[in-house]
Amino acid sequence: MTRPRLGLALTALLVAAAYYAGANIGLILRFPPLTPSVLWPPNSILTATLLLVPVRRWWIYLLAALPAHLLATAQAEWPLPLVLALFVTNCCEALLGATCVRQWSDEPARVDSLRRVLIFIAGAGLLAPFLSSFLDAGVVSGLGPEPYWVVWRTRCFSNMLTELTVAPAIVAGATAGWSWVRRAPIGRIVEAMVLALVLIGVAAAAFSRSADGLRPIPELPHVPVALFLPLILWAAVRFGPTGGTWSTLATTLILTWAATHGRGPFVDLRLSESVLAMQVYLIVSVVPVMCLAGLIEERRRAERALADRLRFEEFIARLSSSFVHLPSDRMDEAFDAWLERLGAFLALDRVLLLRMLDDGGGLRVARSWDAPGLGPMPRINVSDEYPWTVALLRREQPMILERLDEVPPGATRDRDSLRRHGVRSKLVLPLLAGNRVLGGLAFVTVHAERAWPEQEVLSLPLVAEVFASALARKESEDALRASEVMKSAILSSLHSGVAVLDRDGRIVAVNQAWTLGPADGEHYVDDCRQAARRGEPGAVELLMGIEMVLGGHRPSFALEYLAGVAAGERWLAVTVVALDRAEGGAVVSRTDVTERKRAEIEAQRSRQELAHLTRVSAMGELTASLAHELNQPLTGILTNAQAARRFLDLAPPALQEVREILADIVEDDKRASEVIQRLRDLLRKGDFEMTPLDVNGLIRDVVKLLGSDALIRDVAVELDLHEPSAVARGDRVQLQQVLLNLALNAMEAMVEVAREERRLVVRTRMTDGQTVRISVEDAGPGLRTGTHDLVFEPFFTTKPSGMGMGLAIARSIIDAHGGAISAENNPRHGATFHFTLPLAVETAA
Amino acid sequence: MSDPAGAVLVVDDDASVRRALERLLRSAGYRVQTFASAQDLLGRGQFDDVACVVLDVRMPGQGGLDLYEVLVRSGCDLSVVFISGHGDIPMAVRAMKAGAVDFLPKPFEDEALLEAVERAVGRDRQRRDADASEPADPIR
Repeated sequence: MTRPRLGLALTALLVAAAYYAGANIGLILRFPPLTPSVLWPPNSILTATLLLVPVRRWWIYLLAALPAHLLATAQAEWPLPLVLALFVTNCCEALLGATCVRQWSDEPARVDSLRRVLIFIAGAGLLAPFLSSFLDAGVVSGLGPEPYWVVWRTRCFSNMLTELTVAPAIVAGATAGWSWVRRAPIGRIVEAMVLALVLIGVAAAAFSRSADGLRPIPELPHVPVALFLPLILWAAVRFGPTGGTWSTLATTLILTWAATHGRGPFVDLRLSESVLAMQVYLIVSVVPVMCLAGLIEERRRAERALADRLRFEEFIARLSSSFVHLPSDRMDEAFDAWLERLGAFLALDRVLLLRMLDDGGGLRVARSWDAPGLGPMPRINVSDEYPWTVALLRREQPMILERLDEVPPGATRDRDSLRRHGVRSKLVLPLLAGNRVLGGLAFVTVHAERAWPEQEVLSLPLVAEVFASALARKESEDALRASEVMKSAILSSLHSGVAVLDRDGRIVAVNQAWTLGPADGEHYVDDCRQAARRGEPGAVELLMGIEMVLGGHRPSFALEYLAGVAAGERWLAVTVVALDRAEGGAVVSRTDVTERKRAEIEAQRSRQELAHLTRVSAMGELTASLAHELNQPLTGILTNAQAARRFLDLAPPALQEVREILADIVEDDKRASEVIQRLRDLLRKGDFEMTPLDVNGLIRDVVKLLGSDALIRDVAVELDLHEPSAVARGDRVQLQQVLLNLALNAMEAMVEVAREERRLVVRTRMTDGQTVRISVEDAGPGLRTGTHDLVFEPFFTTKPSGMGMGLAIARSIIDAHGGAISAENNPRHGATFHFTLPLAVETAA
Repeated sequence: MSDPAGAVLVVDDDASVRRALERLLRSAGYRVQTFASAQDLLGRGQFDDVACVVLDVRMPGQGGLDLYEVLVRSGCDLSVVFISGHGDIPMAVRAMKAGAVDFLPKPFEDEALLEAVERAVGRDRQRRDADASEPADPIR
């Protein structure tokens, strides 16, 4: 806090010194005994000070001026009341002028536009001296012998002249002077020096006198004054209000000096009148010169603003056009290039592109540009170090900071981070896509503070918009590319050949595994059509299926067929799925399933082998009953034949008896061969053959086969069959085997049961219109708890001599038929085994 | 030729076997009646005129052995020849112990059957002769 106070004290001292110097000049340029000076700079020095410093500090500078005033006026040997009264009037003038200008002007410390110049001239230049001179004249004439109007007139004009020349010169010098000198190109500085030299030269030429009294320029009253006018105009036009006011001040000083020393213009007049004329002349000429300078400056500024704006708009146009067709993979490069251009264009030290992280948590520096000579941006977590800034961005608001002390008191973390990174000014704009904050664009200065003029704050969001839309596009293109990369990776990883067909059946894309048949760009459906014409297996079905899918008649189609290719016969599984899109088409995927097919065939073969084996072993169990089954007709035949022999031995032979006997023998023979045939059927090792089967007939055949066994075991067999009989597709022998197996198990289960309880029921029921259910019910002890599913496992058996394969085979047979087998205990006693078979809805075409 | 007065009954569930037996026995001069089941036989009521019964062991419902035991328990002392398509030794032993004349496994030679029937008829005649000399036991 000592620094600002020290600064204040120094400025106050400077003002006091200036006041003292100005008062001394004023005291020199007097016509004693008249008190007013012909040129009195202190008042205008005070006016300029009050315009430049804040109002609340005015009192400091006025107080600082008082000792200077007392010191300066001591030499004049004025009475103290006069001295103090004069200080009061001087202060009044400065206060009045400064107040008026501050009241009316938007920028009181500037005289760089016509309006500001006019306000300055009216308030500080004319009104304040005019009014304060009444007071001054009153004081001076009241305390001394000087006539009121003479005093008023002298003071009024002299003060108007200084207010119009000294005050603006100081103000312009203070606001623009030093920075102008620092920034101006060397040519301008040379020009300013030439101008100053010419001015001095002209002054020397106008007011020097040779020894013989001859002057280089005629001594007509207006000529020397007129000589300065082009120089003042030159300064005003080329160097604006600063140049205009300083050159006018210089001219005023020269002319006043000349006038007071009898060298200047108007020398033929009385001295004081000559000075007065000079003052009026200068006042009259300085007003238009200042107006002209203000006008020119205003114009120049407008032109500059327009040029800046055009330059900026061109910048934006180039920026946005460069992103329009840029592929997303080159965007980072472009971001870097444009961050650099932005930094150079706006004279920044650092430009950052910040990205909001996907999880919504943080913000990170995605790309950055640092001015040459500046160390690279340290890696930081923006959210941790700048919570206030991030919060502003989240609310879609910009963060505008011209000086560090503009950081709100609460945002201590932001302030600390800014200070640590040496940031002097910063502007962060949110990057918005729709209602999503993608990140921010940060403009940073490190070397100096930087103002963010309204025009920039209004137009830089355009830059942010371009960046935001580019980012959003990059984001979506990246996502799209990622998904395409994934899709093609998935496609090429597939073992199945995949081809995409257009609406006409032409291949528009294939994956790597698509090696057989027509290639990309060829006509797949035509190829199928030709194959169908050549009679290749599966081709007709494939062609019809694809045409159905392409025609929109069905969503998908699948087929397995044996194709003859170069490598021999291969099983191919083809799936055709319609593409769900406006332009139609389909995806064909083709898999070589030869291995699977072979395995299936192999499995089927071994299942058949096993089924046959178990059938043979079941036959073993049936031997006794089969012997009985055959014994009946054989007994009939033998007995009949022997009876016939006896009838033939009779005399006469009983031929009628013999005839009847022979008929019975034929019948018995047929009966016996039927048994043999059934046996042979069951023992046959036939191929798996699916045919439509009459389910009830199938059951009756099996019961016939079992009849003798049931008889021997004293089991009553009941049939409860649904009429009309269901027709299922299946392999007759294998299904007979299943039934036989279930029935034998059922009878076996009832060995320990009382004879009159031994009941075996075979039932058929239609379940849901698609399957028929066949149940085999016994009256045995039932299944042990927990074994309902186990009974179908291979080698699970409860019989001491059982192999445990019967039900496992039964299940594999039913599975192969697309049915299901299950077991449950009956409510009263015994168990029931059910199996289902799909109905043969399609009749053999 | 045997005594025409004594009838031979044939019980077998198999129609063809039944008819063949009927013919064979008829050709040997016997009066023959056939029955398809035990129930049919019992439906006949009385067996006074019966010289012999040819009985199948295995029949649906009541089998031959059971039927025989029922008849024996009811005091009906008939001479029986068992025939069986599915005979085994324990069954034959059981039949013989119960008092059967013979046990023939199917198929059988005509001589074997006729000889067995003849023996049965002979035994029946001896029993009837004994019954005639001694007062008959009241039938339970």
